[in-house]
Amino acid sequence: MSAEKVTQLSQTKRMFGELSFGPQDVKLYGQYTYGIAGERFFREIKDNGRIMGTRCQKCQLVYLPPRIYCERCFAELKEWVEVEGKGRVHSYTAVHVDLDGNRLNEPILMAIVEFPGIYGGFVHKLGEIEPRDVRIGLKVEVVLKREEEREGSILDIEYFKPGMFD
Amino acid sequence: MSAGRVAIVGVGYTPFRPITPDVSFREMVYEAAAKAYEDAGIEPQKDLDACVTCQDDFEHGRSIWNEQTPDSLGAVLKPVGTIPGDGIYGLIDAYMQIRSGLRNVVVVETHSKASNMITRNYLLAHAPDPIYNKPLSQHPYYIAGMEMNRFLYETGNTKEQCAMVAVKNRRNALSNPVAAYGQKSAVEDVLGSEMISYPLTELDTSSHADGGIVMVLASEDRARSLAGKPVWIKGVGWCSETPWLESRNWGEAVYAKLAADMAYRIAKINEPREDIDFAEVDDTFSYKELQHLEALGLCQRGMAGRMTSDGVTQRQGELPVNVSGGSLGVGHLVEATGLQKVLEVVLQLRGEAGKRQLDNARVGLAQSWRGIPYASGAVAILSRE
Ligand SMILES: [Zn+2]
Repeated sequence: MSAEKVTQLSQTKRMFGELSFGPQDVKLYGQYTYGIAGERFFREIKDNGRIMGTRCQKCQLVYLPPRIYCERCFAELKEWVEVEGKGRVHSYTAVHVDLDGNRLNEPILMAIVEFPGIYGGFVHKLGEIEPRDVRIGLKVEVVLKREEEREGSILDIEYFKPGMFD
Repeated sequence: MSAGRVAIVGVGYTPFRPITPDVSFREMVYEAAAKAYEDAGIEPQKDLDACVTCQDDFEHGRSIWNEQTPDSLGAVLKPVGTIPGDGIYGLIDAYMQIRSGLRNVVVVETHSKASNMITRNYLLAHAPDPIYNKPLSQHPYYIAGMEMNRFLYETGNTKEQCAMVAVKNRRNALSNPVAAYGQKSAVEDVLGSEMISYPLTELDTSSHADGGIVMVLASEDRARSLAGKPVWIKGVGWCSETPWLESRNWGEAVYAKLAADMAYRIAKINEPREDIDFAEVDDTFSYKELQHLEALGLCQRGMAGRMTSDGVTQRQGELPVNVSGGSLGVGHLVEATGLQKVLEVVLQLRGEAGKRQLDNARVGLAQSWRGIPYASGAVAILSRE
């Protein structure tokens, strides 16, 4: 409704702002606590190389990643069970661009990995496989970083690779 | 206090544009609001009982952002409710305030100034879970790539049919004078455009646009006393799936199904395919239109692609979908996306859609999706009678 419309970006007055959460160039610091479930989950991976979920007896559900409550019946969950790191690709994609929109030289394979009888799984990378060989239903197994390299994060899992198992 | 019907009695909007360097967000909202009040024939300071405004903070790069709108909306010293979510949620809030008998006239505001966010992908990359997902640090559209892949796998719909959605909606946008991305294109253009995250290509994704949308809602009594053509809100629904990527359904838009079930129940619609004349559904990505059509019960599961390739969802088809151009053709309006869909339904029902006017528009459905990485959304059903 203004009488004169500006048509050149360079003619406009703008204030540039920064909103940054990165370790460099930081304007805002924040932290995310792992919580009870996350703490135990990542300690088990880091210290024992085990993937652990929590189980709701009533709903017959094992949560992965673990939660201390059941989203169905809302019970508090205290039972922990080990989940064998052998699953299947529920879906996958090959990512061709980075966050700046640049083309990647090699696409990165990402997948949702599910495990038999488990509610949940992992969203993670696939490795040791070519994009053309990936398919939904592919058997994959977890590849952990070496113990001394693990830090207690989701990146302690290096990727999932094609697995040979029944 | 009557629990009567609720109508949309006025709409105002700015043209949707890829960039809006000439105006501030306030000026954009002012333009949309002034048009909406003119359309409704009301004076805000005198007639407005309350306002609802829908914006996400992060999308605008500043905190507690949606407190910023009262002045440009004529709503200073009025009750203002803020929703950090899609505009259809604001519409539903206003509907409930009136339906409950608490208010007579409520305005809903939402806008996009997406062009202000220079590093948008980084912004979106903050949305996935910071402990379990974000450290993997990928372009966030990988989530759409995985969802599209699983959806096509489960339903048998094809990439080509997704591309047909993108072609149709951009083509439709050519007949919408306020759409930003109208284009004549071919299926091969979409399939051959740059791969973003397999099987999702660049032209399968919507680009952002700026714009403001304001709607005035009124009780039946009040609507009858105003000069304009009321459009009635017959049913609303909304639903959220589990927020965990690891646990949610990747092949089916369950949130849209349950939101629609609720809206159909309120609107007393038993046969959506019979009773809904046209729909504006979320098409942030081409495959989402197909996934949402199936979830909304507007076709059988696995048949949305076929329905698209058969031309059913074309403007001249039996069930026109995204005649406005949708997000693919109009531009993705961030939290204003859902209200753009409502806007098109209102214009069609009022017979004011110009060149793209449908012949038989009596009942229309608008649906929104909150967007990556979530599985939640809302539905509104509007009627001429
Ligand atoms: Zn339970």
